[in-house]
Amino acid sequence: MKLHPMIAALRRHKAGVVLIALQIALTLAIVCNAVFIIGQRVSRVNRPTGLDENNLMLVTQSWVGAPSGDQPGDVDKLDSMQQADLAALRAMPDVESVAPINSLPLLNSSWNGSAALKPGVELREGNARTTYYFTDEQAFRTLGLKLVAGRAFTPADVQHRGFRDTSTPPVVIVTKALADKLFPDGTALGKTIFLDGGSSPSTIIGEVDRLQVPGTGSWTNSFTWNATLVPTRLDAGFARYAVRAKPGRLDAVMHAVPQVLYGVNRMRVLDDDSVKPFAQIRQEAYRSDVGMAILMGVVCLILLGVTAAGIVGLTSFWVGQRHRQIGVRRALGARKIDILHYFQMENLLISGVGALIGLGLAIGLNMLLMKHFEMDRLPVLYVLAGIVVVMALGQGAVFAPARRASNVPPVVATRSV
Amino acid sequence: MLKMTHLSKVYRTEVVETYALRDFNIDVKEGEFVAVTGPSGSGKTTFLTIAGLLETFTGGTYHLDGIEVSQLDDNARSKIRNEKIGFIFQAFNLIPDLNVFDNVEVPLRYRGMKAPERKQRIMDALERVGLASRAKHYPAELSGGQQQRVAIARALAGSPRLLLADEPTGNLDTQMARGVMELLEEIHREGATIVMVTHDPELAARAQRNVHIIDGQVVDLAEDPRFHAHVVEARQGKVAAE
Repeated sequence: MKLHPMIAALRRHKAGVVLIALQIALTLAIVCNAVFIIGQRVSRVNRPTGLDENNLMLVTQSWVGAPSGDQPGDVDKLDSMQQADLAALRAMPDVESVAPINSLPLLNSSWNGSAALKPGVELREGNARTTYYFTDEQAFRTLGLKLVAGRAFTPADVQHRGFRDTSTPPVVIVTKALADKLFPDGTALGKTIFLDGGSSPSTIIGEVDRLQVPGTGSWTNSFTWNATLVPTRLDAGFARYAVRAKPGRLDAVMHAVPQVLYGVNRMRVLDDDSVKPFAQIRQEAYRSDVGMAILMGVVCLILLGVTAAGIVGLTSFWVGQRHRQIGVRRALGARKIDILHYFQMENLLISGVGALIGLGLAIGLNMLLMKHFEMDRLPVLYVLAGIVVVMALGQGAVFAPARRASNVPPVVATRSV
Repeated sequence: MLKMTHLSKVYRTEVVETYALRDFNIDVKEGEFVAVTGPSGSGKTTFLTIAGLLETFTGGTYHLDGIEVSQLDDNARSKIRNEKIGFIFQAFNLIPDLNVFDNVEVPLRYRGMKAPERKQRIMDALERVGLASRAKHYPAELSGGQQQRVAIARALAGSPRLLLADEPTGNLDTQMARGVMELLEEIHREGATIVMVTHDPELAARAQRNVHIIDGQVVDLAEDPRFHAHVVEARQGKVAAE
């Protein structure tokens, strides 16, 4: 099929051709970028935290009338209250292990600082930002962390201190990401680091494979995998416990925990939100990402639908307008398949022009988003896939009206109306 | 060249059957110029659409250039239309979006002909109808007579075995009609077989043979003295004019 007469014919229907080509171009530009954003969101949502999330739950509670922690003896009293809770929880038949912890990955609550190779230095070259997880020797078993070097905490490593106490722990365990950042040329095991610009060193005794920081906002992007485990129970008027239930017993443990804790001490606050499975923490953390991805997906589908409807509408209009002309072509020897191919080829031409314009628009839109919204560069693959999608969409949309056109009988050529 | 025997065409609805053609017989020899006449609704156009394989028929047989066409599928019918038949329509039926050259090219393109041969044939056909200089014009830029000449060029370009003309001068004024008719006569003298449907007794008189259709059947001209008289008068007029 030669294109020249087709192009000549299309040039005589400029308005419709331009509108559809522009619609295809805009759809391509928006859909490519939207799908790229959706892809990024989905990969964010699906990235593993480093925890074994099944059968894991978090208890957040506060005592009523507990000491403030500022007076001498308050810290020890708070610690004994916390230890009583831990002992009661660990004694539950369906519980595998329990660890005190100040936060968990994805939770909207964190304690962040910096790790440096020299004392008195904060966040300079060779230093790294980190989040702290204050916990004890049961952290590895409870959280399901994977140790890749060194050793886990022992009970002897674990200390306790008040919430406002800034003393430095003698030993810490860091994530591999943080270790690589601090010691890119060798192992971090046995090396000392200085936390939060302090002057007392902490020795790295182990490395965990992966542990995400709390929070999912873009502000955490620079240190998402930089975590430091500190073997310390924090003593305050509230406490958090990570609880690992035996396989399949999470619901039972969740129901039993309030009763157990009230059994230890009734003077505490435990509301509906105090006991939650990690799955819920994950769901809440990524609710906006998932919502945004769904919204953008729906917008993409609507755009594609509107474009397809536009193509169907315009082609149907053209088929109606050229009804007699189609009959004449059939009378002059065109087979049904020739008519079908004519409309498909015509659509391919319009979609091709639209896709070329859309290619430029997609890249332009991406550059704009990169400049103003910290978006990554749109991979060429997305644009190429987008072009294939809009071309396929065009062919799909044009098929029904083109088939209708191919069924116009040749006798139409002899009819006067 | 064209032979229909006991051919019938019936249009059926839920309540009624209408015979457009009934026991229709016609035999057009190669090289003949036959005018088909008859009153409105007599079945002239139905005959032409069946002869041109634009429509199927209900019963009887139809041989075109030795081929029995009733069992042919749509693709085979398209191929015969394209290679053996040239159509000239009353309303010209040029494609308004294409220029004259591209309009004449349409049937050749469906034949899968190579571009140089197509171009040669198109220019030859346009030369023949005297419109080679208008090859780049669009139909809307031509007079009615010129448009019909383009349609004739389109019909001739594929060197068809049979030319079917449906009221070829019906939309033209007298002067343009005369020009088109002269062109058809010239084409016939060069050996083409032409079947022309017309209302116009004067045009019919210029054909080699007349076939009259009434109520879907071919009737003997002698049985319709009124029509016969028209034809005779017209023929006498033509002779006198010569």
